[in-house]
Amino acid sequence: MPPKPHRVLLERVSGYADEAAAYMRRRRASRKPFARLYYAEGRAEDHASDSSASGELFVAAGRLIEVAGKRERS
Amino acid sequence: MPDDGTAVEVSAEAAEGALAYLTEMSPDLRGAAILGPRGEVLAAADRFSRWEEDAATLFAVADRAGEEAVEQVHIGTEQGEVFALRHAGLAAVAVTERFALASLTFFDMRSVLRDLAGATPQATSDGSEHVRSTQRRGGEAADAS
Repeated sequence: MPPKPHRVLLERVSGYADEAAAYMRRRRASRKPFARLYYAEGRAEDHASDSSASGELFVAAGRLIEVAGKRERS
Repeated sequence: MPDDGTAVEVSAEAAEGALAYLTEMSPDLRGAAILGPRGEVLAAADRFSRWEEDAATLFAVADRAGEEAVEQVHIGTEQGEVFALRHAGLAAVAVTERFALASLTFFDMRSVLRDLAGATPQATSDGSEHVRSTQRRGGEAADAS
């Protein structure tokens, strides 16, 4: 027996909503700021975005980004 | 500010050539600077004093964050990404678009600094100075065009 037409529509809408939610989750994760420091012997340290050290690092990085300015697109 | 490697003297011309090469190699690059052994800017697109001051601040903050001097720094924000690298007594700082390939950017920066450190000015028979790696890069750029 074929499904009722409104069920098809509902499933399609909820499918799109799931896709959008997954996209927003991925986007949030990829946009999260990060600070990674690497040392001479190959050791690396990740600083959480809410730690005090990373706060200072983000401020310093922000100043450099400001100096560099926007890229001129050709 | 750069690492404890052997201090090298690099001419401004060689540093500018290296910066041009780095800019050409990295399409995502917005701006960069090459710093000498004392933290002085050897080459930058513009605003030398701001690059010098802000790069010094970044390395100082990064050094304070850990127990030892940092070698590489990679910071990503919504506005862009910052890469900083110390090598052979020199340092390079680069700002890129978001999602630039970190390993490639660091590789390019390191190779540029390695070239610069290895290309100490050599006196020629006519008394002028030249830098080997800059000439090689110039040659590559000419070949590519």
